[in-house]
Amino acid sequence: MLRTVLASIALALTGYAGAAWLTHGFQAWTAEGGRRLEVALAPVAAPAVAIDGPGLPAQPLPQVLADGRSVTVVDFFYTRCETVCLSLGSTFQQLQAALQAEAAPSGVRLLSVSFDPRDSTADLRAYAARLKADPKHWRFVRGADDAQTRTLLQAFQVVVVPAGRGDFEHNAALLVVDQRGQLVRVFDIAEQELALNYARHLAGRGAS
Amino acid sequence: MKHGPLAWSGATGAALLMLPPLRAWLESSMTLHMLVQGPLLVLCGVLLTGGLSAQVRARLDGWNACGITGLVATAVAFALFMIPRLLDLAVADLRVDAAKALALAASGIALRLSWRRAGAMVQGFFLGNMLPMTGAVGQMYQDSPLRLCNAYLLGDQVLLGQLLVALAVAAGVVWFALLARALVRREHEAGLAVIGKP
Repeated sequence: MLRTVLASIALALTGYAGAAWLTHGFQAWTAEGGRRLEVALAPVAAPAVAIDGPGLPAQPLPQVLADGRSVTVVDFFYTRCETVCLSLGSTFQQLQAALQAEAAPSGVRLLSVSFDPRDSTADLRAYAARLKADPKHWRFVRGADDAQTRTLLQAFQVVVVPAGRGDFEHNAALLVVDQRGQLVRVFDIAEQELALNYARHLAGRGAS
Repeated sequence: MKHGPLAWSGATGAALLMLPPLRAWLESSMTLHMLVQGPLLVLCGVLLTGGLSAQVRARLDGWNACGITGLVATAVAFALFMIPRLLDLAVADLRVDAAKALALAASGIALRLSWRRAGAMVQGFFLGNMLPMTGAVGQMYQDSPLRLCNAYLLGDQVLLGQLLVALAVAAGVVWFALLARALVRREHEAGLAVIGKP
């Protein structure tokens, strides 16, 4: 009986250790929670994938993100999206409005990245026009090819799942990338105020 | 060794389940992942147990009074399997998936070695913990407005939640019915014995 008690206790402790590892010390029960925690603890450098978009000739992504001055709020989307990207789009419209209303530019920019290989530069331009995006604040890019896009998605832990009929489901969020092109924080779509204030803070102007 | 072929089929089955075509298909849906691949891996473990020699069994039994150690091991493995992050990690990382498969197959072995030995009391305690937990997780999967796994769709998650609740209820009912039948039978035999006495 003693051996059974000892073995059971050892197993329970193993299970506890496994659960603690799996949940980052019981802080994150989902992969998305884990991802946000991991990014906050250890920033992720933007991979040097080739991107292009309306008004942006083909270039490595870090060249766009790491200009040494601006902090960028990044989201991932696809132009044919009818669900979560619509709310992301309106979130970005509100962020753009907030940036346009700034008396002095805060150095925060917006970047929407399409992960859909079907999206052409013309698609992105039309989409940007539909959302009344001002290229001064808000730009659109896509991976130069599928492999580049996938490398980027993997680095930033964006998981895209085909949902049938050409739709995708993805872990939509607001990604804050600092002046050196490092992804430093991932915010929920609902936390746009927080994301913007954090980005402004990083950009060195403080938040109101 | 008469259990040899079954044990081999258990080992082969577990290996097949983890090879690319089957693995990719079974992990393409949350429901298939948790309610088809998972149970099949446990079943492979159950089959594998037949390949253990009498000596190994006797040695394991010494550490497994009333099947308690085996059921604790199973409870631990199943509980970890219900953490949503594990499903995502298993899809993304082959090492995590291998650990998951080993743990589930080991649970099959543990269940086979422990269930009979456990008796109604220990079985009841085990199920009394596992089934409400399964039901609660199932309810959470149904109620969450958000996807809990990045790799899976919301509709899939809701379906899995419904099936988990149904499974928990069904398992409880079946276990209780079997227990009641055994009790009634025992009482009946005891009654006959009393009547038979002069």
